[in-house]
Amino acid sequence: MLSQLYYRPVHRLWANPYFRPQRLYSAVSNKVPFELDETDDKYSEFNNFYSELFTSKDEPTGACGQHSELNSKSELDELNEELGSMYSIDVLSSAELEKKVKANGRFVFRSTSTNPYFNLALEDYVFRNTPLTENKTGNERILFYTNDKCVVIGKNQNPWKEIFMKNVGRRGYRFVRRHSGGGAVVHDLGNVNYSYLTSRESFRREFFNQQLVQWLDNEDISLNNRGDLTYKDHKISGSAFKIAKGKAYHHGTMLIDSDLAQFKGLLKPDVVPGVTWTCNSVESVRSKVTNIGREALTSIDHFCSLITDQFRALVDDPEIPMLYCDESSSLPEISEAARVLESKEWNFMSGPKFELTCEGVSLKIEKGIIVESDLPELLGSPFYEFYDNLEENDGKFKSLL
Amino acid sequence: MFSTPISRAAFITSRAAKSSVSRLFLRAQSTNALNQAQLPFTFSQTGPKTVRFTTQHEWIAAHADGSAFIGITKYAADALGDATYVELPDVDTELEAGDSFGSVESVKSASEIYSPVAGTVVEVNESLSESPQLINSDPAGEGWIVKVKINDEADLQSEELLSLEQYEAHLKEDH
Repeated sequence: MLSQLYYRPVHRLWANPYFRPQRLYSAVSNKVPFELDETDDKYSEFNNFYSELFTSKDEPTGACGQHSELNSKSELDELNEELGSMYSIDVLSSAELEKKVKANGRFVFRSTSTNPYFNLALEDYVFRNTPLTENKTGNERILFYTNDKCVVIGKNQNPWKEIFMKNVGRRGYRFVRRHSGGGAVVHDLGNVNYSYLTSRESFRREFFNQQLVQWLDNEDISLNNRGDLTYKDHKISGSAFKIAKGKAYHHGTMLIDSDLAQFKGLLKPDVVPGVTWTCNSVESVRSKVTNIGREALTSIDHFCSLITDQFRALVDDPEIPMLYCDESSSLPEISEAARVLESKEWNFMSGPKFELTCEGVSLKIEKGIIVESDLPELLGSPFYEFYDNLEENDGKFKSLL
Repeated sequence: MFSTPISRAAFITSRAAKSSVSRLFLRAQSTNALNQAQLPFTFSQTGPKTVRFTTQHEWIAAHADGSAFIGITKYAADALGDATYVELPDVDTELEAGDSFGSVESVKSASEIYSPVAGTVVEVNESLSESPQLINSDPAGEGWIVKVKINDEADLQSEELLSLEQYEAHLKEDH
């Protein structure tokens, strides 16, 4: 009787996308977008009531006063336990993470780490270790993660042609070369990344973004001719894909409240006067970006809960769990992959070869090493060292920076 | 207010669209067979000794001298779309069967390519650096990716490698 009384409002609270454990806000964005009391009026009474009743260590009074001491205590303990497990985030242990990933079944993962190398390594781990089912469906997985300030290029791009690397370093952005294809993007704590993982057989490039447009259900949101989401015709999301070992993933960015003014001067335009590049690497397509409108999405948490609920409805399985992990969930394999992602070898010594001419000086670079040059002293040294040694006010190679 | 609209209709529609696209693929593609006018075939006067396919959509054409050409099938190339970059391995790279030795990027997808057999890379198709679109125009000919020296030719008899007929049957089953 008592538990029924409590259960109903609790479930309604849980369905409220704004009502999420507070720890998440601080871990992901360092911002609490609203106070608990400011949620929808309809629920504020319940919110305050339950947070006062169950989150404080004090003996509850009032509401349970009329019940017998014994009954109310044991039932309350039970309730407290249940509520505790709902409202505090249980971060998966390494062993639980491994078990979950390698078992069959759908789930949603949310990483509360903001380290781009860890998050990409985690994504890769889930991707590689998800088993394939006989009929190629049933093991779809969605990941959400937010990376702190970084620029991320596609696997087959030339970082020096795409990125103002000096600005990236000076402004405290990290440089990341991901495993998937596509062009360069900028991330910060106002951006959320989604990753939809499925089998190669059931993978369709357009599928997930088409779903997103439908799920976000806003007349200002649509897909452009490159399959990216736009808000009032400005790009809010960029996508890239990876196919390997019978599986595929589609991952994308979603700009919620990024500091877009800071993005200027990080990605290079198509042409920088003074430098000629000769390379077959993949070119970024320059687009005007914007944050998604507040009336469409209020926060990263809102996005994650909306997509999770819609995914559950789509596959008709309300039981799909939302699991949390952070760097404490890491496995040796993940930590090693993160280390590789951060390494000079991966970022600067294994991408596409290229040639450049700047102020009459020509260089040819293969696997990051200068193999031909008009300046013989540069031969055999890594191009990133040459670049690192250039001063910001370098007279000769200024346009290379 | 917070209930989520359930939209199964769209899901079903997109699935239906997918299966009709796949059927179209099968009908439209000329064949997954080797192009008999190009190097992977003409390397030996009488053509390759053995041609096999993997479920990951690679083909391998093995010749009498123990070397073999590897590429991706027409089916895979069509599914990937216009190739924009082909990542090639270094010559002398040693491969185990199932090792990834490169990737094809197309429309923002990086797709790994796996070696069907154990061997050593002896040559890579450099023309793919300049012209990745050869992967689409002639995937089982001019768009070959690497040539390997096979370690043990018995690998070609592995049950995991399919004949052309088995491969085409596999495509019909799965798609």
